[in-house]
Amino acid sequence: MDKILRIDMGADGGPKTSSVPLGQYAGFGGRAMTSAIVSKEVPPLCHPLGAENKLVIAPGLLSGTASAMSGRISVGGKSPLTGGIKEANSGGQPSQVLARLGYAAIVLEGKPKNNDLYKVFINKDGVKISVDNSLKMLPNYDLVAKMKAEYGEKICCISIGPAGEMKMASATVAFTDMELRPTRHAGRGGLGAVMGSKGVKVIVLDDTIVRGSTPGSPAVTMQMRVPKDPEKFKDANKRFVDGLKSHAVTGQGLPAYGTNVLTNILNEVGGYPTYNFKQGRFDGASKISGETQAETEKTRGANPTHGCHRGCVIQCSGTYNDKDGHYLTKQPEYETVWAHGGNCGISDLDKIAMMDFLDDNYGIDTIEMGATIAVAMDAGLAKFGDADAAIQMIHEVGKGTHLGRILGSGAAVTGKAYGVERVPVVKGQAMPAYDPRAVQGIGVTYATSPMGADHTAGYAVAQNVLKVGGDVNALKPEGQVELSRNLQIATAAIDSTGMCLFIAFAVLDQPDTFQALLDLLNSFYGMNLTADGVTDLGKKVLTMERDFNAKAGFTAAQDRLPEYFKSEKFAPHNVTFGVKDEDLDKVFNW
Amino acid sequence: MDIDNIESWPSITLEVEGPLVSHFFLLLQQGVTIRSRTGCSVASFLREEIGADIETIKRIQSVILDGSPVDDLESAVIKDGSVLALSAAMPGLVGATLRRGGTYSSFRSGITYHETQEECVRGEGLVQIKIFNLLMAELGPRLLQKGVIISSEDFIRFATGQSQDFWQGCRRITLDGKPLDAGELQDTAWLSGKGQIFLSVSSDKARA
Repeated sequence: MDKILRIDMGADGGPKTSSVPLGQYAGFGGRAMTSAIVSKEVPPLCHPLGAENKLVIAPGLLSGTASAMSGRISVGGKSPLTGGIKEANSGGQPSQVLARLGYAAIVLEGKPKNNDLYKVFINKDGVKISVDNSLKMLPNYDLVAKMKAEYGEKICCISIGPAGEMKMASATVAFTDMELRPTRHAGRGGLGAVMGSKGVKVIVLDDTIVRGSTPGSPAVTMQMRVPKDPEKFKDANKRFVDGLKSHAVTGQGLPAYGTNVLTNILNEVGGYPTYNFKQGRFDGASKISGETQAETEKTRGANPTHGCHRGCVIQCSGTYNDKDGHYLTKQPEYETVWAHGGNCGISDLDKIAMMDFLDDNYGIDTIEMGATIAVAMDAGLAKFGDADAAIQMIHEVGKGTHLGRILGSGAAVTGKAYGVERVPVVKGQAMPAYDPRAVQGIGVTYATSPMGADHTAGYAVAQNVLKVGGDVNALKPEGQVELSRNLQIATAAIDSTGMCLFIAFAVLDQPDTFQALLDLLNSFYGMNLTADGVTDLGKKVLTMERDFNAKAGFTAAQDRLPEYFKSEKFAPHNVTFGVKDEDLDKVFNW
Repeated sequence: MDIDNIESWPSITLEVEGPLVSHFFLLLQQGVTIRSRTGCSVASFLREEIGADIETIKRIQSVILDGSPVDDLESAVIKDGSVLALSAAMPGLVGATLRRGGTYSSFRSGITYHETQEECVRGEGLVQIKIFNLLMAELGPRLLQKGVIISSEDFIRFATGQSQDFWQGCRRITLDGKPLDAGELQDTAWLSGKGQIFLSVSSDKARA
């Protein structure tokens, strides 16, 4: 992983590739890599869909190694949804494969001079780019099936669906999973539209090599990346895996039920945004809970315990079959079940699973789409609870009808188009599945994250392990600001390693597991990273991102929740968001 | 729901083959009611009414009383009509936030449970229990064996959703102490509009 692949899609005579050394980006991976390149090379005032914007795809620092949980991949650029810097990350196979092929990043630059659609094929021999207009408007599943027929079963794909081609602000970049299905998405911020603006439909990765020289010799995948100190690396990986498996969340809760295990408890505490953030409890919650979902999957012969990439030991994903026992989609995650479920008043798991499939197939962010449908329901386009109408709205987006173009532009645009006041967005991006009035600390992160409202921006590790900013008195009101700051710093650092954020639970509770993570990085790269180093990396990433946004025109006014969160009482606790603006402005004071 | 009428509600008991007790677990997430002591602390309730030992209580990472996360199990008091929800450790920042006494508990300080009752009124009452996720298998069999109160509509939904394999695995069924054929229980029309029923489920697993 010692080079960056740059593809100039606007070069004279057609796309031109160059493979360049890491240079000033050495030591960066994942979010640190995407945000470093974007903040350094993209003019903050450029149009997100213009030639000056870049789409950066970067595996994590430990991707392609034997380390468990190292298969996250980051996608970055200037966001068409927020107008600021964006990093969205995903699971799936491509991170491992891209890293084994030696690339620390792919950078799509420039803009084609015509409307041709391109596919990019990368293997051990190099990069081939070709026009393939037969791929136009293919949904992701059909596209991947076509790539499989053309390149074989050992590939993996990074692609966009019709939403990305139509440059919609809710479009995703899709990544194939272990079964070569396009079920993993860098969902937030509309980066699929940036890929669409570059004219790239799919990047096909193939890391197979033929072992032996005789005809018919078997094709095998390339070897894992080799650590500087293999023995220490092996030992650290064992301790890391043991830590994950022994923890109640990563070893039991997530494998059994997936992330949707959160539905019941969020609903019980009255923090489950329902009917477009009008109330905190949904009567149908138990019908769409993780417990019900897992039971449904088992009854229908699907699998509620499944990894999204090789090397995953948490296995929080799964598969969802229809009533006849046929694969319908991957196990819908908590955010998806909430966005299309409770937030729209829908309690039919099969309909929600269908929406999950359609989102994946058209290449749409499930959170943004669900939040948008709820806003549309508030506008009177359909009744809350009408699942068929919700499904039809997603089809409108996939087909690119006039209505679909509005809906595909996200909740903020839809709210404007239909005159809706209650639009739950920050920096133009829809809020995820936790109401910031009930859980105020997460509201601080929603408001201040450079990414817009984002549940993962302040997700990770352990203030008590990292001691970011010293000891925090969590009982004081200002503790919420301090904790949000620390969590955002830690998350930025974890996102840069390419490790799944779900490792955070084990690291949070078990300092030995955190040390094992540091040892993995140190033994692989021959470094001496400490907890302080992790903190510094997180601060560096956030500083780059904040600087970009400031130059793009963002001020403190964008670090706010919509006004109605301060005035509309949220049942059942009848609470409003009470963190003061001046406290929000202190989040990045370090 | 009136505790004085409890004796008049239909009482159904089922003895099922061990693994089949898990079929009842989804009822637990919706909430079941038990007749129990009131005026006691949540900690005492968990030990004495639910039968949770110290290790199990450690695994009950989130306790929600009347919609509010509880940090101190000793000071929060169970009352007649209380709703108590129990969860194992949950993922995500919000999962960590909802843990009792956790580092991030200040994130939800606006909805945290604070006991207001100065004097405990000890007595007997009806308490609704909701058991989520991994705790369903851990606490469910014992609770179901002890007996729970659910609405007849919930039981009808449950009964009509079971396969023949389930009914074949029911070794003994009684209604108000008298033996009942599985077929008679599957025909749930007689239960419609009955209000509440008392349900007790025992299995090899629970007895072990």
